Amino acid sequence: MEALALRSPVEAIPAAEPLSDVARAAAGDVRAFEQLYRTHLPRVNSLVRRMTAGRDADELTQDVFVRVWQKLATFRGDSSFTTWLHRLAVNVVIERFRTDQVRRARMHDGEDIFEMLPAPAQTRDIGMDFEAALEKLPDGARQIFVLHDVEGYKHHEIATMLEISAGTSKAQLHRARMMLRRHLK
Amino acid sequence: MTDKWIDRLSEYIDDELTHDERAQLEAHLSTCRECADTLEDLRAVVSRAGNLPTRAPETDLWPGIEPRLSSGRSDAVLPFQARGSRRFSFTAPQLVAAGLALMLMSGGGVWVLQHGGRATSMPPIAATADPGTAALPAGLSDPRYDEAIADLEQALEAGRSELDATTIQILEANLAVIDKAIDDSRQALDADPANVYLNNHLADARQRKLALLRRATALVATKG
Repeated sequence: MEALALRSPVEAIPAAEPLSDVARAAAGDVRAFEQLYRTHLPRVNSLVRRMTAGRDADELTQDVFVRVWQKLATFRGDSSFTTWLHRLAVNVVIERFRTDQVRRARMHDGEDIFEMLPAPAQTRDIGMDFEAALEKLPDGARQIFVLHDVEGYKHHEIATMLEISAGTSKAQLHRARMMLRRHLK
Repeated sequence: MTDKWIDRLSEYIDDELTHDERAQLEAHLSTCRECADTLEDLRAVVSRAGNLPTRAPETDLWPGIEPRLSSGRSDAVLPFQARGSRRFSFTAPQLVAAGLALMLMSGGGVWVLQHGGRATSMPPIAATADPGTAALPAGLSDPRYDEAIADLEQALEAGRSELDATTIQILEANLAVIDKAIDDSRQALDADPANVYLNNHLADARQRKLALLRRATALVATKG
């Protein structure tokens, strides 16, 4: 039984995670995977929607969960399942941006867009106003803002993910904050 | 905005300035109203971003995901364009076979949940000699899957004496249930090889067999 002594991904999952669902999904249980999907859908969809400004967010969210299914066996428990899942989601979104030439062509300096946005009305949901303003940011600044200020990634992590320098990440973050600040005033 | 400190305010908020830079900026803030106001606004932005609520999509996305899981974790996952675009029609024998497979799989699933899903009753799924086989392709024919099943069955047979009669009886009964589901799915697929629904059933049953055998051999290992 020597072959059985090797550590499996399932055994390495931290106890704090919903062990049974992750373990069963890793073993091919579609129903367990559906439960994982339902647990994590709101956060993953929100992350994807914010990074993409809502463009094809649901389609990309589906792609994320299919990728999770494909990669679940590689999850070793070095981080929490949630952390692993969100990193994978970010990678899926970044890949889409890199490979989609049409979207690349859309990347522009969007500061002028804020001049056209109406000021938030008193009766509107301020959270929705913020989300709307977020969608108007240029792609690069928005992605970095979401990764840093919403998702909590560090600049060196963002730099690795986006293949940019940490200095660029900091500059884009400040740019995004200043643009959002103008809208929220 | 020519004030050089304006562009350093985010670094100040994120505590990324050196000690000296921080001291200089704080001294500047005490005399520059514009920078002080901007700093307050930026802090509000950061605070807002950190408290955004999560929101699920308006429609359930699972129906567009499940069909794409058809071949386990192989490269045969359906491309996005294919999902949801095909209308299915089943013959009566296919529906009977699929229904039977569902019922049988449900029975097997209950057992796995009750006996295999808790570390206290059975150990976690053990890996085979190749850790990369943790999620083998479970398509209609894959040599790695067949080899893994054969190895696990051999290991289980070799360690059979370590298990009590009741455990062996349960294991054999559930393996029979899963094998029956696999056979039924295969028969239905013979008539309609491209049927995604039936392919899902077959892949699911094969993965369940793999998982059950792994748990069983892991149990043998702990007894031996």
